[in-house]
Amino acid sequence: MDIMIKIFYAIISIIVATVYGLTLGGIVRKIYARAHGRFGPPVWQPFLDIIKTHGKRVSISHGIMFYLGPVFRFAGGLGTYLFIPVIFGSAIFSNFSIAGDLLLVMYFIFFGQLGMALGAGEGGHPYSPIGIARGLSQMTSFEVPFALSVIAIAIQYNTLNITTIVAAQQGGITNWTLFTNPLAVIAAMISLLGMNMHSPFSIVLAPQEIPIGPPIEMNSSFLATLQTNRGLFAAAKLVLFMNLYFGGATNLLIMVIKTFLIYMFSVFVGAAFPRFRPEQSMRFFLKWPTIIGIVAIIFIAYF
Amino acid sequence: MIFALILGFALLLIGIYGMLSQKNLIKIVIGFSIVDTGVHIIIVSIGYLRNRTAPILNSVVDLGKAAQQVVDPIPSVLVLTAIVIGLAVTALMLTFVVELYKKRNSLSIDDYQELKW
Amino acid sequence: MVNPIYIIILSLLAGFLLSIFDKGGRKLSLTVFYSVLTFNVFVIADWFYRFAILGVSTLTINTAGFSAPLSINLQLGMLESFVLLFANLAGLLSAIYLIKKFKESKISSLILYLILIMGVNGLVMTRDLFNMFVFLEILSISTFALTILTKNKKSLSAGFKYMIAGGVASTFFLLGVIFVYYFSGNLNLEFISSNDFTNYGLIGVFLLAIGIFIELKPFPANGWALDVYESVNSGIVAIIAVVNSAAIIFVLYKILPLLPTVYLSVFTGMGIVTYIFSNLVGIRQSNPKRLLGYSSVAQMGLLAASLFYTTKLGVSQNISFLIAGGIFINHFIAKALLFWIAGIVKKNNIKDWSVLRNNIPLLILFGISLLALSGLPPFPGFWAKWEMVKVFVGSKYYIGLSAILVGSLLEAFYLFRWFGYTTKNKLNKETMEQVQFSQIFPIIVFVLILFFTSFWIMTNVYSLNYFNYLPLVAIFGMFLISFLRSKVKAIISIAAVVLYGYFLFPLGMSIQLLFGIIFIIGSGIVIISTINRKNTGKGFYGFLLMMIFGMGNLIIAESFLAFFINWEFMTIAAYLLILRGKRAKIPAIVFITFSLAGAYFILAGFGYMPNIANNGAIINTIGTIKIPLMAMILMIIGFLVKSASFGAHIWIPGAYAEAEDDVTPFFSSMFSKTGIFGIILLAISFIKQTPDFDLFYWLGWLGAISAIVGAFLATFQEDVKKLMAYSSMSQLGYIIVSISLLSHLGWISGLYLTLNHFMFKAMIFIAIAGVIYRTGTRQMYKMGGLIKKMPLSFITVLIGIIAISGVPPLSGFGSKWLLYNSLIEKGWFLQAGVFFFASAVSFLYLYRMIHSIFLGQMKYEHQNIKESPIWYLIPQVIFIIGIMAISMYPNLIIQPLNTIVGNYFNSSIVIDGYNVTSSLGYWNGNMVMYVTMGVFAVPLILLLLINGRTQTVKQFNIVYAAERPESPQTTHFAHNMFSHYYKALGGLTKPRIQSFWNYVSEGTNSLAGLFRQIYSGNGQTYILHIILYIVAIYFIMGV
Repeated sequence: MDIMIKIFYAIISIIVATVYGLTLGGIVRKIYARAHGRFGPPVWQPFLDIIKTHGKRVSISHGIMFYLGPVFRFAGGLGTYLFIPVIFGSAIFSNFSIAGDLLLVMYFIFFGQLGMALGAGEGGHPYSPIGIARGLSQMTSFEVPFALSVIAIAIQYNTLNITTIVAAQQGGITNWTLFTNPLAVIAAMISLLGMNMHSPFSIVLAPQEIPIGPPIEMNSSFLATLQTNRGLFAAAKLVLFMNLYFGGATNLLIMVIKTFLIYMFSVFVGAAFPRFRPEQSMRFFLKWPTIIGIVAIIFIAYF
Repeated sequence: MIFALILGFALLLIGIYGMLSQKNLIKIVIGFSIVDTGVHIIIVSIGYLRNRTAPILNSVVDLGKAAQQVVDPIPSVLVLTAIVIGLAVTALMLTFVVELYKKRNSLSIDDYQELKW
Repeated sequence: MVNPIYIIILSLLAGFLLSIFDKGGRKLSLTVFYSVLTFNVFVIADWFYRFAILGVSTLTINTAGFSAPLSINLQLGMLESFVLLFANLAGLLSAIYLIKKFKESKISSLILYLILIMGVNGLVMTRDLFNMFVFLEILSISTFALTILTKNKKSLSAGFKYMIAGGVASTFFLLGVIFVYYFSGNLNLEFISSNDFTNYGLIGVFLLAIGIFIELKPFPANGWALDVYESVNSGIVAIIAVVNSAAIIFVLYKILPLLPTVYLSVFTGMGIVTYIFSNLVGIRQSNPKRLLGYSSVAQMGLLAASLFYTTKLGVSQNISFLIAGGIFINHFIAKALLFWIAGIVKKNNIKDWSVLRNNIPLLILFGISLLALSGLPPFPGFWAKWEMVKVFVGSKYYIGLSAILVGSLLEAFYLFRWFGYTTKNKLNKETMEQVQFSQIFPIIVFVLILFFTSFWIMTNVYSLNYFNYLPLVAIFGMFLISFLRSKVKAIISIAAVVLYGYFLFPLGMSIQLLFGIIFIIGSGIVIISTINRKNTGKGFYGFLLMMIFGMGNLIIAESFLAFFINWEFMTIAAYLLILRGKRAKIPAIVFITFSLAGAYFILAGFGYMPNIANNGAIINTIGTIKIPLMAMILMIIGFLVKSASFGAHIWIPGAYAEAEDDVTPFFSSMFSKTGIFGIILLAISFIKQTPDFDLFYWLGWLGAISAIVGAFLATFQEDVKKLMAYSSMSQLGYIIVSISLLSHLGWISGLYLTLNHFMFKAMIFIAIAGVIYRTGTRQMYKMGGLIKKMPLSFITVLIGIIAISGVPPLSGFGSKWLLYNSLIEKGWFLQAGVFFFASAVSFLYLYRMIHSIFLGQMKYEHQNIKESPIWYLIPQVIFIIGIMAISMYPNLIIQPLNTIVGNYFNSSIVIDGYNVTSSLGYWNGNMVMYVTMGVFAVPLILLLLINGRTQTVKQFNIVYAAERPESPQTTHFAHNMFSHYYKALGGLTKPRIQSFWNYVSEGTNSLAGLFRQIYSGNGQTYILHIILYIVAIYFIMGV
């Protein structure tokens, strides 16, 4: 019975996060459009997109793995989200965080990426693997500063338990990791730019080069699944960052505000910079953010 | 007898010098022979004791005091054997030289260095 | 009981009479000839039996009715009879080998041969210095004359050089004799003592010793000898190389008591110099007989050095006999065998020896001889080396020790390279001429003696436990049933492995059990895939079982020696298995060179080890001793080579890739774990005893570097097996780091990783073996889209890569979780960062592999390909079940590991149900699995419900800019997939380690090329070498 309640809560939590994530996506498109001097689509455009792609008459599959790719991707988003306690102290939004700690979340992110990569790969279109190769490569490079930053906060709080980390940051803004361990936050925020794949790190979807890259063969419901996941997954990542670096949230409103602001960081950077070439992107992450991460660790561990 | 010893060593060195400086196979063998002779002289000189007679038990030697009156006989005996052996080696060397000459029509040691490294 | 003097008398007599007998026909003279040789063998064998078994005391024979010093006396004791037994036996066998030649040649050859053998007998037995000179000359002259048994220009000129050099050497010996006489007043060894020589008197001893030493062909004054080895008839060279040398070394042994200590040191040094430099120069040699010449010279140097050194130290007789005797027998038998074989093969370049493949029995004998000569177990040279290292370490003679080990490595290198050429070079149409029985007979006799001696040493000297024989029994047993079909042999092998595990393995919760599962059960499963072999696969199962038993024995070995011999058995077997690959010539030689180098490090390390109580497996007793730091470092280097850590990793890609496809799983999954086992072995002692120096901290860094470098190397491979090979390197880096943590959590994570790596690597390699079996290529970009044709293999690879990459919910995540927790707990933060990076990079190569092979566009030629054969699929399924089981129920593995590691550390984790809690975090594998299944099932079901209208399209139906590509298969994106990353890494991608080893090998080669220039081929130069050598030694000794 306990587990049923848990699942019920989880469903609520997921729906909230998905809706929020998709709305966020809409807002971002609007912002980009304004930055480009366009009017831009309505904020609810992502929802329209999902409905529209679902409604396609033709649905084409290239094989079982192709079919499962979006499923993997969505499962990855769901799982990542479910292993994060979203709102500190809330039973509804604590999800399944009892199953594992921060490491589980970090590695579960890969679940969706790997599955999607496999599914897209079976599509047989060369742009998919090109995009994936770029994406994986970039992932390895931004993962370094992020991992260093996570290690730094693991040292700082002596735990990998997200709830405990959030708890440690309660009681005033100065308790946030942002202020207690600024170097780690800088490293992580830079890697967040890569994770969110806005310019200058938009080498995976790269519309002008390899039109949307991995999902190029995805259509109808497959694409709709991916689009849904995009919202959820964005929300999950932002919540994770909020929990680790910005004191977490004790209610939904604070969560929305904080994650929105965190997201705006990469949006503003994205609107202002042109795209890197793949190797430039990788080099970038492996240089300064990595050094900042190392310094953060050394600083927190030995001083 | 120190002179003989020096002579022996001198011959030894001359022989070695000859072996090292002469290109002609026969001359090398001669060099070897000179080394041999030098060694033989050294052997004999080592056994020599001043004012003593040859180690032959004849009327000159008093049988009871033979050990005090004769030179050490052993080196003399050894040298005989060594000479024989030296002869055999020299002869064999010369045989090889002849055979080599038959094969290649040359007596220069420089012509026999295909085997190397 | 025949007085041994009759050997001399009869030989002389027969020698003189032979020419008369010959008038009665060659048959008669040959009969007399062989009768005398046989007579000699029997007389000496009889005496040897008396001395060795009955314990008769040493026999002294006085001649001419006087006792010494008035007469010349001969002495025949245990040692003399031992040397003479071999000498006479070799004399007889080589005569049999030469029978065809002897039938045709002049009678003088027979006479000379007989006189030669007589000279050897005399030389060994006589106790009189001058008599020694005489016998030496008899021996020399007859040898000189015999060099031209096959008369040609080469043998003539070699013979001439030999004579000149020999003449000079014996001149010095004679001078020495006479000076010794002058100063001591005696010629009989019994009556001369080293006290007779002071100041100037030492000159006599010096000349005596140097004269003999020159006869032993020390480097660099040995050019003449090499020419002889190269050009003279093989049967005679066998005699020169072994019988003459044996006699001369025995003379050296006899005059040893006269030498002052400083001489012993210098001569030891010179012997070692000879050993290392001759072997060095040998690596540039391509003429087999000259190569053997270098090896002979080297071995004599080693033998002399060991004699001098043990005498100098006053090592106990048993040990010094074992060392010198071991080297002696080893060299004696192996060298004779190889010269005989060289005489049969008659190819003047080792690259042409592939012709030997026409005669498999001879090839096997050849291989055995090479193994023996390389000093590998169970052959006598191995035991000698083992004891020698102990002596050298015990006396802190490190330069000598390293020189000997380097020399051994060089020697093994050129011998194995030769074997590689023989087995792998192109076989031309030419056939070998019929081998006569008379030629093969001596070889077989000597090989039998070799095995008998090895067996005798194993049982009587070391009394090793019976299971240590199993690797040999396996290879022999499989040899006997080699005619059976491969399938039958596979089943027999599985049965053998199962029985072996059942009877020998302790089932308690211990590290032994864990590695037992990996080595034994794992092997049993992987063997199933070999059932697919079509042919009889001669040799394969023998080597395989040898390797498996060797690995298994490591776990239950009860002494360091047992551990090490099994280590070597395993290595040899692995080498032979790799060599079976089609293009494995170079990888195999790289493998064996690295492995032996590693083994020598381990050997040196064992030299430093304190004694260990002999009660039970060393893995259980090692905690009671404190291992010296030096031993620890040396052995860790050795173990790291086996697990292909950074720096020594260049052997893996070739070895893994070129080994047969169904063999590679054994290497990756099990064989590489032996290095891990070794490190654990050392670590157990390290944690039980208080360490002086935190070696494992640095080992941890090395593991981290291996992990990241291996991952990147794998990323840039096109060859799927090389990719997985580097992946193994990377994964073993994870294991090494977690073992190095020396903490409870670290070890759990290390052992967990070990088990996990074992399973996923085995299944991926088997799946890949199936793919290669079907497609016939290892280049990934030549495949593609195989998911449609080989779905089961795809699933295996998929599960494998999920398990490697550490993506939840499969078992890989557990290992990652444990690893990071333990690293952070220990405070190894930066290392943890490196591992995050490495594990991210692993996605690159894993995706590259699965995509390039199974996804994307299929090639036309693979349209009709089938799924892997059933025999490949069975083990895959077993491993999938294993992985899924421990993923779903992590307690199956975490609980036992907690218990096992609890023997060494206090527990640092709490296991509550499926919830594992460390000091940092928590993980509930079971719940993760259920959540994952849930979040996977929901979208899937939704998609299935909503998306019922899906239609599947054909392969080439893609949105390629609204056009169907002309040749869709060319759009498969696989070649050079991560070029951008390669670019991004810039200078970091330079293969520095590869270049480093290339420099090492080129440098060694050039050095060899440089040193062999001294062998100019000019007889005069050789004399100069001798003279200069004598002068140099004279000054070094500072007489």
